[in-house]
Amino acid sequence: MTTTLFIGLDGCTYTVLDQMTRELPGEGLTMPFMKSLMERGVRAKLRSTPNPLTPPAWTSIMTGKGPGEHGVFDFIRAEDHGGEVYWTLYDARDIDSETIWSILSRKGKSVAALNFPLTAPAPEDLKGSIVPGFIPAKHLRRNTHPRELFERIKQQIPGFDPKELAWDFDKEKQAMESLSADETAKWVRYHLPREEQWFKVAEFILKNDKPDVMAVMFDGTDKIQHQAWPWLDAALLKANPQGHDKEMREVCLEYFRNLDGYIEKLVTLAGPEAQVFFASDHGFTASTFVLRINAYLEQKGYLKWAVNDGSEQAIRREASDFANLDWSQTTAYCRTPSSNGIHIRVAAKPGDPGIQPEDYESFRERLIADLMSLRDPDSGKPVIVDVLKREDWFPGQHMRRACDLTLVLRDHGFVSIRNLLPAVAQRPQPIGTHHPDGIFMAVGPGIPTAGMVELQDIVDVAPTLLYSAGLPIPSDFEGATAESFFTPEQLAARPIKKGARTRLTERRQLGQEMDAGEKQQIIEQLQMLGYME
Amino acid sequence: MPLTSEAYTTQLITLLEDFTQDWDHDFQGAMTRDTRLFANLAFESIDIIQLVVAIQEEVVRAKVPFEKLLMREGRYVDDLSIGQIADFLAAQAAG
Repeated sequence: MTTTLFIGLDGCTYTVLDQMTRELPGEGLTMPFMKSLMERGVRAKLRSTPNPLTPPAWTSIMTGKGPGEHGVFDFIRAEDHGGEVYWTLYDARDIDSETIWSILSRKGKSVAALNFPLTAPAPEDLKGSIVPGFIPAKHLRRNTHPRELFERIKQQIPGFDPKELAWDFDKEKQAMESLSADETAKWVRYHLPREEQWFKVAEFILKNDKPDVMAVMFDGTDKIQHQAWPWLDAALLKANPQGHDKEMREVCLEYFRNLDGYIEKLVTLAGPEAQVFFASDHGFTASTFVLRINAYLEQKGYLKWAVNDGSEQAIRREASDFANLDWSQTTAYCRTPSSNGIHIRVAAKPGDPGIQPEDYESFRERLIADLMSLRDPDSGKPVIVDVLKREDWFPGQHMRRACDLTLVLRDHGFVSIRNLLPAVAQRPQPIGTHHPDGIFMAVGPGIPTAGMVELQDIVDVAPTLLYSAGLPIPSDFEGATAESFFTPEQLAARPIKKGARTRLTERRQLGQEMDAGEKQQIIEQLQMLGYME
Repeated sequence: MPLTSEAYTTQLITLLEDFTQDWDHDFQGAMTRDTRLFANLAFESIDIIQLVVAIQEEVVRAKVPFEKLLMREGRYVDDLSIGQIADFLAAQAAG
């Protein structure tokens, strides 16, 4: 019997959800079922990871630990080897903490986790089903756990189409690009059948396998909000939208209306005894300007651009979303837009490029001062409102892999690392960007009708889900069960118990042994995103 | 005792037959040492990533420095045959 249903909504924010769950003039009520759940349950804002980004944030939701402990900081993992920087993509093997899927399985609970990032390859002994997110269609079958599940899905779900369901990397890249009006509408429409496919898989597993803990993530919310924010944020909506504005608003409403239908069917299928939880990895807001951070760092003398010889390869490299620099003359730089952070290059030995280790503190203070002094040329307002030092914000065994400094921009936007000037420019129109505050909601037996309660932290999701499933909370979790999400009667009848520490999976231990002799990462992985020549 | 290139070839063919079974490519007949990933099996760069993971997880049960195979003089190779991968794995296993 399914006791816990967890529905992830990537990037979901109350800014949009509150609109969709109330009657709006001329539009009616878009998400009536979600409205009824919110009225019956409890909800809180959920503070994301210091850099509110999909891979680290979902990994924190899955592990109950921050990035400094679980080791996932970005889409891309890079290693600075003095003269060269090697890049690779993260996968499940890079998560250096046990996930709730493994903990539940180890404790005898059956589990299904659908469309969560960094869930492939799955641990071999996992009791349950994993259909990973962020995997192209051609590789979905081999990355589905157990293997035979893919054939079951393919044969038994009418209309199942892995090409509609899985990531198309060329299309996903568009999330961060500037699209024409026509392309933007197509972009939103592309996500309608994708979500339908994920819903069908979730419905199939819930109906047939009845896992103790059922989890599915819908990620269209994030993708659509990136490109269609002006048609989702009430503060930016035109009073009486016409033409393209009308089309965009309508397709956005269609997406959320469909989502409401999927949620209703899954909650109904889980049954009245199930506790239902919703969480997002971060929220959303409007980004109004661009900060070309490496251009600014170059102006301040911290880096030099690589020489562009005009070749096709050099042009492609220049246009990619990876820093393309003269490493011999770079002391501080931003690697990727999504990192929103700055790495300081410290010389490993005399003669290596970078600053001397003894100069680190003074260099970093000067860099922070330079960053905080940057002003918007139009408004005079600060561009960067906070600079986070890694030891303060990413404590843990992997702290040294975090950016030395993480930037918080005034509009919460992501930086650009393009070689363009000016360093700060206004956007022609606002686009969606990640906000640190996402959503966390619950409804069901043992859950109070409490409305909005105090802010929760992203690492609280995992212990809350484990408690719901009847398990003790591992003593090394950084988060705690959200007690305000449960009635006093439930907490009295079944007190929250502390349990043993998490364990690393067998595979991970083997991986670490293998890593000992490994000198470099597989650079090739990034070709797929078109990021590298 | 380290496996030979021939033994790795057999394992790679088994893996690649499973890997590509539902792909849309024109390759017909049996795979051999000379079968090329991009030219014959319609590989794209994304597929290389997945193949590397699969080889590490299912064939050698270890992470190996694939960049030595995938890069030549600072540039990525245009294509690879099954035999080239098998030779590389055998050389790595032999230390």
